[in-house]
Amino acid sequence: MSARAWRGALVVAGRELGAAFDSSIAWVATIAALLATTSVFMNGFFLAGKLDMRPLFELLPLLFVLYMPALSMRSWSEDLRSRTFELWMTLPLPPGAIVAGKYLASIALLALFLAGTLPVVALLVWLGDPDLGRIASGYAGAFLLGATLLALGSFCSALSADQIVAFLSAAFASFVLVYLGEERVVAVLDGALPGLHLGSFLSEHLSALPPYQSFLRGSLSLGACAWFVGLALLFLALSTRAVRRNRA
Amino acid sequence: MIQVEHVTRRFGELVAVDDVTFSIGPGEIVGFLGPNGAGKSTLLRMLATYLEPCAGTLRIAGLDARTQALAVREKIGYLPEHNPLFEAMRSRRFLDFLGRVRGLTREERARRIGWCSERLGLAAVLDRPIRECSKGYRQRIGLAGALLHDPPVLLLDEPTHGLDPLQVVAFREFLHEIAQGRAVLFSSHILAEVATISSRLLVVQRGSLILDGQVPELAARAKQEHTDLEGLVVHAIRERGGRVELA
Repeated sequence: MSARAWRGALVVAGRELGAAFDSSIAWVATIAALLATTSVFMNGFFLAGKLDMRPLFELLPLLFVLYMPALSMRSWSEDLRSRTFELWMTLPLPPGAIVAGKYLASIALLALFLAGTLPVVALLVWLGDPDLGRIASGYAGAFLLGATLLALGSFCSALSADQIVAFLSAAFASFVLVYLGEERVVAVLDGALPGLHLGSFLSEHLSALPPYQSFLRGSLSLGACAWFVGLALLFLALSTRAVRRNRA
Repeated sequence: MIQVEHVTRRFGELVAVDDVTFSIGPGEIVGFLGPNGAGKSTLLRMLATYLEPCAGTLRIAGLDARTQALAVREKIGYLPEHNPLFEAMRSRRFLDFLGRVRGLTREERARRIGWCSERLGLAAVLDRPIRECSKGYRQRIGLAGALLHDPPVLLLDEPTHGLDPLQVVAFREFLHEIAQGRAVLFSSHILAEVATISSRLLVVQRGSLILDGQVPELAARAKQEHTDLEGLVVHAIRERGGRVELA
C-alpha cells in the first residue's frame, strides 16, 4: 500500500475506534472480558499462592474465541446492513486500506484489553519476583493470538450483513482454529482414524494452540510469530477479497 | 467531463443498463429521469466507481472509471441513493472525517465545512449526532459530504428526496450557483423537478437511453407534437414498452 493509503487507513482506524465506543458492544465486551479473566485468575492465584501469570494466559484462548468475534462482528456487517458500505467503497481509498483501518481499530481494542490486565502484573511484582520475561512472552502470544482471531472475525463480518451470523461463524471458526490443538481433541481425532494421525497433523499444522503455548513456555520463536502473522495476513487478504466481491 | 460510451451492465440475466452513450461538459446540469428500476442508480453507481460496467467505457475528467477508480473518486462528489451516513457520528466529525480521507489539511477542512454549513444551512445540526437529524438535514449533510472537496463532477442520486418544497427551490438555486465549471448529473423520477433544475434531460427506460436533449429544445418539440414535456416523455417511455401507471 502507498503512504497515502496508509494515512487513509489510520484515519479509518480513528473513525472505527470512535464508532466502537459509540456503540455499547465494545465497552460491555471489554469490561466483561476483563472481569471474567481477572476474577477467575485471582481466585486461582489466592488458592495456589504462586507468582505466575500462566494461568491467566491459559484462560485467554477460550475467552478470545468469544471476545474477538464480539469485537469484529460489526466491522463490515453493520456497513452492509446500513448501506454505508457504498459510502466506504466510493471514498478515494483502496479496499485494502479500509480493511486495514478497521482491523487496526480492533487491534487497539485488543491492546486496551491486554493493558487492562497490567494491574495483575503490578500486583505480582509488588508481592515478589515473578519471571518478567515469561510474562512478556505470554503477552506477545496473547496479542498475536487475538490479532489472528480478529482478522478471522473481519473476514466473517465481510461475508454477512447480519452481525449475529458474523459473530457465530467467527466464534465457530475461532473455536476450530484454537481447539484443534487441544490434547483431548487430538486424541479423539487420532483414535478415530488410526494410522492417519489426523489429530496430530491438524494440531501441528493448523491449530493456533501449539504456537500460542510455545509463548507461554517463554520461548519467543520466530516460527510461531510468522505462523500468527501469516495467518492474520491471509484472513485480511480474504476480507479484502470479500469486500471487493460485495460491490458486485 | 463525463463520457459514457456504449456502457452495459448486467446482473445475471437482467440487463440494468443497455449500451448507453452520452457525454456531459463543464457547466451543464443534467437531469437523469426514468421510472423506478430504469437503471438510473446503476449508471450513477458505475460513474461513482462503485460498480464496474460489463462492457463499454466511462471517463470522468479524462480518467477511466475502471482502471483509474481511485483518481476518479478524487474528482467526483457522490450522493448515493438512500444517502447512507454514519448515524452515530456528529455531523461536523462526519464531514471532518471525509475531509481527512480526501487529504484536506486542517485549515482546508475548517474552511470547507464552514462553507458547506453556511450554504446548506447546517449550523444548527453540526454538533448533533446524525441519527438525531431530520430527513431534510440528513440529505443536506450528504450533499455537504459530496461537495466538501470541491469536486469538478457531481453525481447526485435523488438529491431532493426528503426535502420540503421550499428546500427544493433553495436546492435548485444552490445547484445553479455551484454548477459554474462543474458537470452535474442528478437523478429523479419527478419530471417537473428535473425540468426546472436541469438544462438538459436524459430519459432512461429499461436500461436504454430513450431521450437526450436540452430542456427548451424538448419543450419546443413537444409543442410541435401538440403535447407538453410530460406528454413527450410519457410517450417515449410507452413507445419502449414501459407502463406509466400508479402501481
